[in-house]
Amino acid sequence: MNVEIKTLKKFTPKEFTLISGLPGIAYIGKLSVEYLVQQLKAEQVAEIYSKYFPPYTLIKKDGVVELLKNELFQYKDNNKDLAFLSGNAQAFSPEGQFEVVEAILDWGVAHGLKKIYSIAAFASDKTIKNPIVYGTSTDSKLLEDFKKLGVVPLEEGVIVGENGLIMGLAKKKNIPAVCLLGETKGYQTPTGQYLIDAKAAKEVIGVLTKILDLKVNMNPLDKQAKDMDEIIAKMTEVERHIKNQIAQNTKRPSYVT
Amino acid sequence: MKNEIWLETKKPIDLKDPIAVVGSPGLGSIGKLVVDELIEKSKAELTTNLYSTHFPVVYHTKPAYLAHYALPGIGGVKVEKQKWGLPKVKFFTKTPSLILVNGYHANFAGAYEIAEKVVDILQNFGVKRIIITAGFGSKENKVCCAATNLNLIHEMKEKYNVETEYQGPFYGFCGLVFGAAKLKGIEAISLFAGVEPKLGDPEFLAKDSATMIVDILKQMLDFS
Repeated sequence: MNVEIKTLKKFTPKEFTLISGLPGIAYIGKLSVEYLVQQLKAEQVAEIYSKYFPPYTLIKKDGVVELLKNELFQYKDNNKDLAFLSGNAQAFSPEGQFEVVEAILDWGVAHGLKKIYSIAAFASDKTIKNPIVYGTSTDSKLLEDFKKLGVVPLEEGVIVGENGLIMGLAKKKNIPAVCLLGETKGYQTPTGQYLIDAKAAKEVIGVLTKILDLKVNMNPLDKQAKDMDEIIAKMTEVERHIKNQIAQNTKRPSYVT
Repeated sequence: MKNEIWLETKKPIDLKDPIAVVGSPGLGSIGKLVVDELIEKSKAELTTNLYSTHFPVVYHTKPAYLAHYALPGIGGVKVEKQKWGLPKVKFFTKTPSLILVNGYHANFAGAYEIAEKVVDILQNFGVKRIIITAGFGSKENKVCCAATNLNLIHEMKEKYNVETEYQGPFYGFCGLVFGAAKLKGIEAISLFAGVEPKLGDPEFLAKDSATMIVDILKQMLDFS
């Protein structure tokens, strides 16, 4: 089977909003969703497997093997039902990304999906003190409430992978969707792994909790964001040092022969 | 072609509670070396071949097991000892209870499906436990383990003094067979032998590292 959604628990809302954040630049989507899942104690309802995920498994710290998968969680309070989508992978090929997202949306529609908030990253070259949250949506009216919270409409760009595609295919199915993009430098380790940008995620979560009227303890994320500040300061210093060195190396020689 | 995966049964199989040992070319070719040695030592017989349209004979990825959707490789036949044949996964059996699987890396389009098919076949043979063999990049000559659950990891520590160490991605045929076993609820243990990678030649023959796994398997399988 190309995409398999394995039900772990019954999910029977009348209607629900999906908050989606899969791993991507600076893990902003993944961290935001997983933080909300943890703080709200959302329950897992399904796992998603696909032949389009990158072809490897993961050996965890305790030695137990794990398949690449996406996960769906549910949260319910007095006036709303939410579902959260995250995981440890995105489909690898464009065809796979379309097929996985289609399967998730079909699952959603079958369970009463009415709206989607997708979380992604906005990679920026600028020095970032307070990350901006950019937004784009299937209908510009949807962004009005977000603008009041400081969200800046995205002028142009691409939203790569399933975090963007879910909005594109939602529109095809007439499901209103908003994509929120946390501004980040998208720092990477020497092996190409993205550093988790908790500061950008914190800004996105701040917007989402207000829109969804959720009470969430932000203290653990504040600590992570502070650590990120220190890392960014160090990275900025390294960047400045490298730029200086390059500038010195490209100076004209002070003599001619 | 209609069927992307098909089987060829060479001999009927009659085993009792078999254990399967699986290996494939990979880092240091350790998995393949282990399975080849066990086939030779046990005089196991080839009983089933699995073929697939997803098996290239020329890979565009190096190492071969780093499958990429845009690099499917080229199909063809392989010639060995003046005999030609399609690329395949080979299942060898030895009564009363041993199955040895010589794996083959599929391209991206078939990687997951072939791993699932292999586990289905082993399940049909009545296998309750799969032992995967592979290499991991290390300067130390040691064997570590991973498993589908924590009980198996404790068993490996207590009975065979094999600890966990490697954490990270497990690529290729064996990595996905390991994952498919977990998904289908079959116990699986992976033994990784440490091997220092050789730049430009990831699948060199690391015989000493393979021997370390064979020594542990002899205890696990009560095999001399």
